Amino acid sequence: MPASIVAQMAISGALMGLVYALIAYGFQLTYATSKSINFGQGELVMVSAFFSLTLLDLGLSYWLVLPAGLLFGAALGLVVERAGVRLALEQKSEGWILLTIILGLFFFSAAENIWGRDDRPFPTPIPSDSIHVLGVDVTPLELSVAVGVLAVMGLIELLKRRTLLGKAFEAVSVDRDAGELMGISAKRTVMLSYALSGAVAALAGILVSPITTVGPTMASALVLKAFSVAVVAGLDSGFGVVLVGMFLGALETLASFYVGSGWREAPGLVLLILALAVRPTGVFGKAAIRKV
Amino acid sequence: MLLVEDVYAGYGLSEVLLGTSLAVKPGTVVALIGANGAGKTTTMRAISGLIRPARGRVLLDGEPVGGLPASRIARLGLAHAPEGRKVFGTLCVEDNLLLGAYGRLPRFFGFRGRAAADLERVYGLFPRLRERRRQLAGTLSGGEQQMLAIGRALMARPKVMLLDEPSMGLAPVIVQEVFRTIRQLKAEGMTMLLVEQFAKTALEVADYAYVMERGRIAIEGTPAELRRDERLLAAYLG
Ligand SMILES: Nc1ncnc2c1ncn2[C@@H]1O[C@H](COP(=O)(O)OP(=O)(O)OP(=O)(O)O)[C@@H](O)[C@H]1O
Ligand SMILES: [Mg+2]
Repeated sequence: MPASIVAQMAISGALMGLVYALIAYGFQLTYATSKSINFGQGELVMVSAFFSLTLLDLGLSYWLVLPAGLLFGAALGLVVERAGVRLALEQKSEGWILLTIILGLFFFSAAENIWGRDDRPFPTPIPSDSIHVLGVDVTPLELSVAVGVLAVMGLIELLKRRTLLGKAFEAVSVDRDAGELMGISAKRTVMLSYALSGAVAALAGILVSPITTVGPTMASALVLKAFSVAVVAGLDSGFGVVLVGMFLGALETLASFYVGSGWREAPGLVLLILALAVRPTGVFGKAAIRKV
Repeated sequence: MLLVEDVYAGYGLSEVLLGTSLAVKPGTVVALIGANGAGKTTTMRAISGLIRPARGRVLLDGEPVGGLPASRIARLGLAHAPEGRKVFGTLCVEDNLLLGAYGRLPRFFGFRGRAAADLERVYGLFPRLRERRRQLAGTLSGGEQQMLAIGRALMARPKVMLLDEPSMGLAPVIVQEVFRTIRQLKAEGMTMLLVEQFAKTALEVADYAYVMERGRIAIEGTPAELRRDERLLAAYLG
């Protein structure tokens, strides 16, 4: 087996791993402002992908569907915050865990009823014939995943650092009460984080679907790995999830090739268990995930 | 003008304030003193909206603010420099100050320019903060963090300022510096409610004072009147 083919597979896997990173980043966004995460995040990815597919079927251009899908994801994020998180947080309870899981189940069965159980292809104008870049073959489709993920994460991080709204976001993350004393509404900041998290989930769905197809079951596979990435990288380092996501993606591809395709899920699980045993705050993180 | 009328408040089932009333007239400094656990911090939290009064009224310039979210009350002109300073440790000094003016600055671009005059004013008051404007607030000394907390509150151009134990844990010379600043703000006409352990020093700057005991105002009066109170002298003014 030539080394170049191993490298080839590792790179394809790493690019896919960026999708896990993006979903994990969505966990980080809401954890920062509210110490809560949406356990039904995978269902947001899937429902947003189906919604975008429906718009494509209606004949809308991909470049219109992309922003529409993101807006739809943001709206779903707001629904999750309103229905699943807000009351629990006001009562300082952990009820959001159960409520977001239930909302996810609801989205899952709604998706099955509306779009059926079959996996469906997701058309895209981005070509999937490989091109030769820097010594390896990649498809523009795979590259679009990388560009989309890194561009959006970079943009959000830039806004967080450069705008007053971003600094307010950070302030509420550090100390909710002190933020309120500055005139920053903690409630609206949490809403904003859930909207962003939903939009990011939708982007993950739109980027990955042309490669994997769209189906109700895509949610659980994606979100489990995103969860592993978030646990391993920690819940406060955007840079960390990118590195860990790519690492996991590469590892997975190699495992399924060398050990057998049934072992594809194994590296994520091993990584998750190792991380929880060795360093529960994540390799890059300060905050521990409780109750995992 | 800040009015607190018969306020009851607490944390969950534990009631702390049992009918607290006080008034802070425009341009005056009012001291709130009392033993540890008397409810001074709780009074401030009930005024600024960090806890919701169960009963009673809080009025800011005649407008009832009791029950509003703290962020709304802050935008109505009440700045609260809380106990323990609570600066944003992972943000730099200047970002902390800018957030003090959050309510009246543009959210995305041009906020630095819009806040330039206020920044100058705070840096004039605390030259140390100007030197450290790019430093993370979490790495400042205790005294510098207190200056930052006061400066951040000033950035809002508040109608009323609440200062909760600004001298807590500071070396005597820094305490003097903090009180110098409070006198200067008073001279500029700032309206302030001041909670202090150093009751003596607090009474020197205050126009009026309240003494709290177990969730109620036990004694009130001008500093001259309070200094004549034997019981008080024994308990707080040593
Ligand atoms: N977050 C809280 N939860 C429950 N009880 C609290 C809380 N904060 C304060 N208390 C209680 O409320 C009472 C009043 O506390 P408060 O902090 O208002 O006192 P204080 O007058 O500011 O005291 P100090 O001089 O020590 O700052 C105390 O008995 C305290 O134990
Ligand atoms: Mg106190």
